[in-house]
Amino acid sequence: MFKLSEIKELMKLMDQTSLHELEIENEGSHLLIRKPGKTESVIVAPAAQHTFTPVVSAPAPFAPAAAAGGPAAAADQAASGEEDAGLHKIVSPMVGTFYAAPSPGAAPFVTRGSKVSDKTTVCIIEAMKLMNQIEAEVNGEIVDILVENGQLVEYGQPLFLVKPH
Amino acid sequence: MKEQIIRIMEQHRGSFVSGEELSRRLDVSRTAVWKHIAALREDGYEFEAVPKRGYRLVQVPERLRPERIRELLRTTTLGHTLHVYDTLDSTQTKAHELVAQGAQEGTLVIADRQTAGRGRMGRVWHSPPGAGIYMSLILKPRIPLQFTPQLTLLAAVALCRAIVRIARVPVGIKWPNDLLIGGKKICGILLESSAEDERLRYIVAGMGIGVNLLPDDYPPELRSIATSLAIEAGHRFEREVLIAAVLEEFEALYKLYDEQGFGPIRSLWEANSASLNRPVRVRTAQGELEGIAESLDDSGGLNVRLADGTMTKIFSGEVELR
Repeated sequence: MFKLSEIKELMKLMDQTSLHELEIENEGSHLLIRKPGKTESVIVAPAAQHTFTPVVSAPAPFAPAAAAGGPAAAADQAASGEEDAGLHKIVSPMVGTFYAAPSPGAAPFVTRGSKVSDKTTVCIIEAMKLMNQIEAEVNGEIVDILVENGQLVEYGQPLFLVKPH
Repeated sequence: MKEQIIRIMEQHRGSFVSGEELSRRLDVSRTAVWKHIAALREDGYEFEAVPKRGYRLVQVPERLRPERIRELLRTTTLGHTLHVYDTLDSTQTKAHELVAQGAQEGTLVIADRQTAGRGRMGRVWHSPPGAGIYMSLILKPRIPLQFTPQLTLLAAVALCRAIVRIARVPVGIKWPNDLLIGGKKICGILLESSAEDERLRYIVAGMGIGVNLLPDDYPPELRSIATSLAIEAGHRFEREVLIAAVLEEFEALYKLYDEQGFGPIRSLWEANSASLNRPVRVRTAQGELEGIAESLDDSGGLNVRLADGTMTKIFSGEVELR
C-alpha cells in the first residue's frame, strides 16, 4: 500500500516535470497518477453543504493509507495556482479555525511585509482542540494575508501569499 | 539556599528551629529566611511556624519516582524514554525542545510542578507541586495531516479509560476532549502539532490530571469548575500508577488507530461521551448555535442537529452542555 504522503510527494514531483502520467507497481499495489488536461482530472471536490460542513471528498484512484473513514485526502490544487505571478501560497492543510497569534492579545506570528524562512511559524490552525503550527515552507516575504483571525478555513484554502526570495 | 534550609530542617525533623538560628547558620537576614520559607511552601513543603520557637518541617512534597513508573510500565514504546523534572515552566515547551534535539516517538516529559503550565491559546493550567500529573508525550504518527485532530479524541478516550480503571469514578467526555466528573473538569488535554509542506512533523500531547489536589489547592475561580480524583474518590492515588495506566491505554488505542483507522476510536469515544444525545450550545468563531449533539462524524467532528432539523458538523468550537 502506498502512503498518502508518498503519493502526494510523487504528485508534487510530477508537477515540476513535463511528465503526464506515472504508473508504479510495487508488491501488489498499483498506482496510476495522471496529470489533468489529457484525460479526466484528478480529485478534489470540496462539497460546501453548509458553512459548518467543510467536507472534502476524495474519489477513487487511491485509498488513504491509514485512518480509513476520515475526510479523505485530496490532491494538490497547486497546479492551478502557479500562475500567480510567482507567489507562493501557503494553504490550510486541514479544516479548522485560523489563528494569527499564539494567544489572544499577543502579537501575530507574521504581518504583511514580514520576512519568513521555511521554518517560520506563520499561524495556527485549530481543529478539535489540536493546535497545528503552520510553517512558511519557503524563504521570502509575506505579501498578503487572505483570512481573518478566528475565521473557519477549509482544506486547501489559501492563507498567505509569499513572495519567495 | 533553599536546599540548605531543607537540609537543616531535615536534621531537626520533628522539632522547631528558630528563625534566628537559621539566619545565623546561613548567614542571611531573618527576612531572607522568611522569604525562602515562603518559597519552599510554594514548592509544596509544609512548615509549622510558632512565634518565639521558629519553624518545624511538617511535610515534604511527594516526589514522582521515575523508577516506579518504569516498574509499572507495560508498554512497548510509549514512555520508555522518560524525562522527569522537579520543576518545569511547561512540559509542552520542554517536549518541543526535545523534539528539536532529536527525541523519538514515545518520549515522555513529566514535571512534579509547572510554573507556567499551558492550556490552549495562552491559558494557564494550574499546576501545584506534587499533587497532579503534568506530562507531555511526543508522537510521530505516519498519518495525513488532516487526520491529526482525531488524535485529540483518541487522547481523551485513553485518559478516560485509564482514570475509570484506576480511580473507579464516572468520567464522561465532552467534545472534543474535555474529561468531566459531575460537570467539573478533571483533566486537560492540549495537542500541539507542527507541520511543514502539508506534512505532519510531530505531535506533542500534553495531559494534565488533577490527582491528589484538595479543594484548598484550587484558586477560588477554579473550585466550581475543576475537581480532582482525590476529591471525587475520597482518597489519594499513587500518581505513578495512573501515569503507567494512561500510557498503556494510549498505546493500545494508538495501535488500534494505526491498524484500523478512526472507526473503533470513534465507537469508544461515543461510548464514553457525556455530550451525545444532549442539547448543546456551541460557540464558534462564526457565532453561536444550539441543537442536539447526535454523533461523531467520520473525521471526529461533532454532528449537531439544529432546531430546523438540519444537521451541521462542528470542527472547531466550544461546546456547552445545556
